[in-house]
Amino acid sequence: MAVKIVADGKLPPLWHYGHEEHDVIASKTFGFWLYMLSDALIFAGIFAAYGVLDHTMNAAGGPTEAQIVHPIAAFWQTIAVLSSVFAYSLATVALKHGNRLGLMLGIVAAILLGGVFMALELKDFADLYAQGATAQTSGFLSAFFLIIATHGLHMIFGLIWLLVMLAQILRLGLTAPVVAQLLNLRLFWQFQAAIWVCVYVFVYLKGAI
Amino acid sequence: MAAHSDDPLQHPEVQQASVFGYTAGFLATLALLGAALLLTEGHLMPPEQLLGGISGLALIALLAQCFLSFGLDITSHNIWKSVSLILTVPLFILTIGLTVWMFQQLDALTMIPGASVMPGMTMQPTLLQ
Repeated sequence: MAVKIVADGKLPPLWHYGHEEHDVIASKTFGFWLYMLSDALIFAGIFAAYGVLDHTMNAAGGPTEAQIVHPIAAFWQTIAVLSSVFAYSLATVALKHGNRLGLMLGIVAAILLGGVFMALELKDFADLYAQGATAQTSGFLSAFFLIIATHGLHMIFGLIWLLVMLAQILRLGLTAPVVAQLLNLRLFWQFQAAIWVCVYVFVYLKGAI
Repeated sequence: MAAHSDDPLQHPEVQQASVFGYTAGFLATLALLGAALLLTEGHLMPPEQLLGGISGLALIALLAQCFLSFGLDITSHNIWKSVSLILTVPLFILTIGLTVWMFQQLDALTMIPGASVMPGMTMQPTLLQ
């Protein structure tokens, strides 16, 4: 491999602290991307537990998967979460054009649609509890509630983050740190849609087979 | 980044936002999950084939999200995200696959055939099967 030698006979530096081409925004988004991949492995562990406990024997005499999942009702949740992610994604298109009003409207729409998703999920939980199907009933239901609630907690955190970003845009404007946070939030919110695809197919649809 | 800019809105990751990509990703995911719902509700195939079919639709939906929503590609500002995802996917599959395989073996070797199904219980296809 040819090594480029600069004029004074020294090798060029491999790195330079405070180098002028250091991309702060890209470093932040890549770091957050790696965090999201580690978060995906948490979901892998939970899906693995669900795959093992999703067995009639683990229902322990309680309701089975087919008795508690409602794929058509859950499809409304699917529409809500995908629409929320779509709204925030479009908000980042407004960000690209420097359209602060469009950005904020997109964030508000994402919050409202995310709120609809959470309301549907909490109603589903309340109905199950009313039927006596709680997380303590059986190993299967523990895994079921864990997988749904873990995704739900991510959604709640995302909704809080969206609210925080609204405040930051109003207070600080579209500065580099705020823009980096908006990009990280886009990764986080789109990740929730990807996880929901797995939850919907491997919990709700598989349960109805 | 070869180019310099003091304007954060000119950053490549901001500029990669695309109405077409996001709309296509949203519609593709919705359509694929809708198709999976129709297949499931219609019971158009035997259970094992149906599980394979909806898994395939889920995989296509995830790929659509990777390319259209996340905008992953091999450009200089995205390549390490793409590489790290490709390296993580096998870990994801191994974690779930090996765990389920291990318990499937345990079930086959330790349980009396039929004993796990008590009278009145209905059997569904599970990943262990």
